[in-house]
Amino acid sequence: MAAVSIRQIKKTYPGTGLTILKGIDLTIPDGSLTVLVGPSGCGKSTLLRTLAGLEKPDSGEVRIGDRDVTTLEPRDRDIAMVFQSYALYPHLTVRENLAFGLKLRGTPQADIDARIAEVAPQLKLDELLERLPRALSGGQRQRVAMGRAIVRRPSLFLFDEPLSNLDAALRGEVRVEIRRLHEKLGATMVYVTHDQVEAMTLADQLVVLNGGVIEQAGPPLEVYGKPKTRFVASFLGMPPMNFIDATIEGRVARAPGLSVQLPKSFDVRDVTIGIRPQDVRPNEEAALDLRFELVEGLGFESHVHGRLGDDGAPFIARLEGDEGRKIPKWGKLGLSVSPTDVHVFDRATGRALS
Amino acid sequence: MRHALALLVLLVTWFSAARASAGQVVVWHAYREAEERALDKLLDEFRAAHPGAVVESLAVPYGAYASKLEAAIPHGHGPDVFIDAHERLADFRDRGLVAPLPLSVIDRTAFDEKLLPPLELDGKLYALPIALKCLGLYLRGDATPASLDALPSLAYEAANAYAHAPLLHAFGGKMIEGDRYAFADGPAEQSLSWVAAAVAKGKIPEEASEALILQMFSAGTVNAAISGPWFAADLPRDLAYRVVPIPPVTPGGNKPRPFLTIEGAMLAPKPRDPELAGELLKFLVAPSSAIVRAREGRQVVATRAAWTDAAVASDPFLRGFADAAAEAIPMPTSVAMRAAWEPTTRAIQKVLRGDVTPRAAMAEAARRYADVTRPLPPRADPRFALFLVGLIALFGAFAAVRAARDPQFVREVKGSVSAYAYVTHAVIVVTLLVGVPLIIGAATSFFAGRSGDLHYVGLANYWDILRARGGPLLASGSFYAVLAVTILWTVCNVVLHLVIGVALALLLSRPALRLRGIYRVLLIVPWAVPSYVSALAWKGMFHRQLGAVNAVLRAIGVEPVAWFSKFATAFAANVATNVWLGFPFMMVVTLGALAAVPREVLEAAEVDGATKWQRFWLVTFPLLRPTLAPAVVLGAVWTFNMFNVVFLVSGGEPDGRTEILVSEAYRWAFNRQAQYGYASAYAVLIFLLLVLATRLLRAQKAAA
Repeated sequence: MAAVSIRQIKKTYPGTGLTILKGIDLTIPDGSLTVLVGPSGCGKSTLLRTLAGLEKPDSGEVRIGDRDVTTLEPRDRDIAMVFQSYALYPHLTVRENLAFGLKLRGTPQADIDARIAEVAPQLKLDELLERLPRALSGGQRQRVAMGRAIVRRPSLFLFDEPLSNLDAALRGEVRVEIRRLHEKLGATMVYVTHDQVEAMTLADQLVVLNGGVIEQAGPPLEVYGKPKTRFVASFLGMPPMNFIDATIEGRVARAPGLSVQLPKSFDVRDVTIGIRPQDVRPNEEAALDLRFELVEGLGFESHVHGRLGDDGAPFIARLEGDEGRKIPKWGKLGLSVSPTDVHVFDRATGRALS
Repeated sequence: MRHALALLVLLVTWFSAARASAGQVVVWHAYREAEERALDKLLDEFRAAHPGAVVESLAVPYGAYASKLEAAIPHGHGPDVFIDAHERLADFRDRGLVAPLPLSVIDRTAFDEKLLPPLELDGKLYALPIALKCLGLYLRGDATPASLDALPSLAYEAANAYAHAPLLHAFGGKMIEGDRYAFADGPAEQSLSWVAAAVAKGKIPEEASEALILQMFSAGTVNAAISGPWFAADLPRDLAYRVVPIPPVTPGGNKPRPFLTIEGAMLAPKPRDPELAGELLKFLVAPSSAIVRAREGRQVVATRAAWTDAAVASDPFLRGFADAAAEAIPMPTSVAMRAAWEPTTRAIQKVLRGDVTPRAAMAEAARRYADVTRPLPPRADPRFALFLVGLIALFGAFAAVRAARDPQFVREVKGSVSAYAYVTHAVIVVTLLVGVPLIIGAATSFFAGRSGDLHYVGLANYWDILRARGGPLLASGSFYAVLAVTILWTVCNVVLHLVIGVALALLLSRPALRLRGIYRVLLIVPWAVPSYVSALAWKGMFHRQLGAVNAVLRAIGVEPVAWFSKFATAFAANVATNVWLGFPFMMVVTLGALAAVPREVLEAAEVDGATKWQRFWLVTFPLLRPTLAPAVVLGAVWTFNMFNVVFLVSGGEPDGRTEILVSEAYRWAFNRQAQYGYASAYAVLIFLLLVLATRLLRAQKAAA
């Protein structure tokens, strides 16, 4: 087990001249599960591969525990990695796959057998040990890939989008499995995903990356509840947060079809107001005047799509149960929102104002 | 190119056959350049003299000449008149390709009387002498040496029995005497010693080929060269030289009489228009025609009257060769003569390499000759074989009848009639090009004798091969010794192909490598060059005195190696050539397979703790194996049968010890009295060995 610290990591790919990491600083506490999340091309995979040693940073420093590993080869870093494609050795049986890393390190055969015997039942692999990877289902392969990491007992686990090749039902299952595993092993893990559900449910620490920089890092609920930038706010939450360009007059933000109370007053006049779809309630008071366009009913909730005012900003409201269905077509819906649920961003910089 | 030519020949002959009628005569020859131009000019004159007659001529490449004649004449679309060397006459007669000349065309007084007997068989004349070819001495400068000893340097194909013959004769020796092999008699010891000493002194170049002699003589490196009239065609036009008969070895000694080849005009058995064909024969040897051939075709013509022409008589080149021919010994046409070349050449080579004394080489040549010419296996009773064939046919018929009665089988066949229709042409082509030759080849292996005179011998050929012709099992040249060399050859080559191919593919697949595309193309080039071109280039590079390999060795201070004088070095030269030819295939296959190795798996191994070498050995290589395995089997089969390299580079040297099974089979078929049955038995054994080997490999793979 070890904490990881990353200082001023920069990486430009030769040839393309594309700067993928623009000076990353991050501390990963010992025993935590840190999730790196962001859209594709944000640098999350490159950051993970830099931790693994598969990429060498142009500058900066990576420490695992008290060792500076920046220039070390992957095999000298005491890490294990689970790949998106699982990357099982196709010519080796499950048992040989599990034993591969241990054998290379010269672990005695008895020890290897003991470790496999310990890990295999945890991952329900005991029946599959003599099979070749091509005779396994996707989920089984995924479990072998995890088992291969676990038997190594590394000081750091790295996961590169390990669930994206699984179907939706299995994904939820394995997600829970990984969380459970983390609780049990208490190991330091770094997990890369572009899926916000995985990010929110798994993370002790959530790190949102965009364009090669960290937008925000912190406990997932904090990041969700107090997004520091408009990008973070937009990236987390389903359906996504509504953004309305508004002007502030005193403690009230106004825009066509919208007039909401703010928790306090701001110096800036031109702002973007962010309201999560689930933070609005139907109310005749009508702080928001939603012109209804269509509804997506999911049974347990419904998403009402419309515009604010006659031709204002598009807006989505989430209503409990079946309420949305009752709105007449092209009707109006009054909505209210609590001032504490209104996020205010500087329209020019996209930063949250507080 | 050769195929196109063959097609053309077929077309032309077909057309001429279609128009076969009176007033037509077809002439075949193997002439090039000046000789061809002279002949064409004469044919034009003949046409002018015979208005209404159709006179066609066709130049057939020399290498394909005899087989084309054999293929065309019996089917009536060959030539009526053709020109070829007298040595082949007996063979042609045996195959029914040539007819005795009608008395009406023969005027024996027109030629030197010595020239006619070689053209006669059983007292009948089969050809009219056209031109004479023998070896003479080419000289630069004005001095005419009194003896070979007086020459400071002399270039000729010292290792060649034909070129050695004049010396042998000068020392009183003979190649054959009647039907007896006379080379081992005694005088050859002197002639061999003389040449060996001259080579050792550097007077005569080692391993000289015709091309090398041409180069040395043109450049003035040597001022004297022994060769035939054909040599002049390739000399620079502005080079001043003379030709004289080869002088005695020592002043006043015996004349070194070369073998004489008489080119004759021959008549096919059933000419389209016998009278016209006879006219043409007479016309070709008439004095006026002979003068044209001598003046323009640079031929040493046989017609005596032509030498009264001042221009012909005073031409130093023609005069020189005419003098040489006057002393030459007409080449015997017997079977014994044909069988004598290979053992004699090998003996000369061994002596020149310094491996053995002349006496030992002569004794071995005699042994070899006896082995090659020993009586054919006796006729065997074909009844048992016929019974077997009949039995198989019966079973086949039985199975066919049963299948035809099986309603399900009939239904299935009917259901797929259209599918059969689509593959019919392919089946026919494969049957004709692969199946039929295979069956005929296999059947030939049960026969012995020369074509036209084959008799059934049962399994005698196989028995002979498998008991190493009665000699020690591992004697040089025995089936088992050759098989061992072939296996060693295959293993060495395939291992090197694999190691070099995979290593280069790994280098080329590194994304960091600059100019990857260029390297890839350059490395595939050896594969794209026709293999015989590469093989000849490598042969030149391994030349002892002038090769690039020895030049490099000399440059770094290593003693030059006589590559083809020892088994190990000759074998290494062959292997080097074949590795050069073969590694690109493995490289390309590996490159393809490497592209299919997932990058993430290699990264997983890297994270798991594997070093570069472990990543290759534990991950990449096992993943390449399924793709490489068939490539290795294929490569092994190709290498096992790699005729070109062995034949062209070492040519079996030293002493036939680097021959592999296919090249040995070739020797039996084409260098040793056309023992096609014996050679076919070799081929069938090669085939069976390969089938067995691939079977074993596959079984092993299935078990793994």
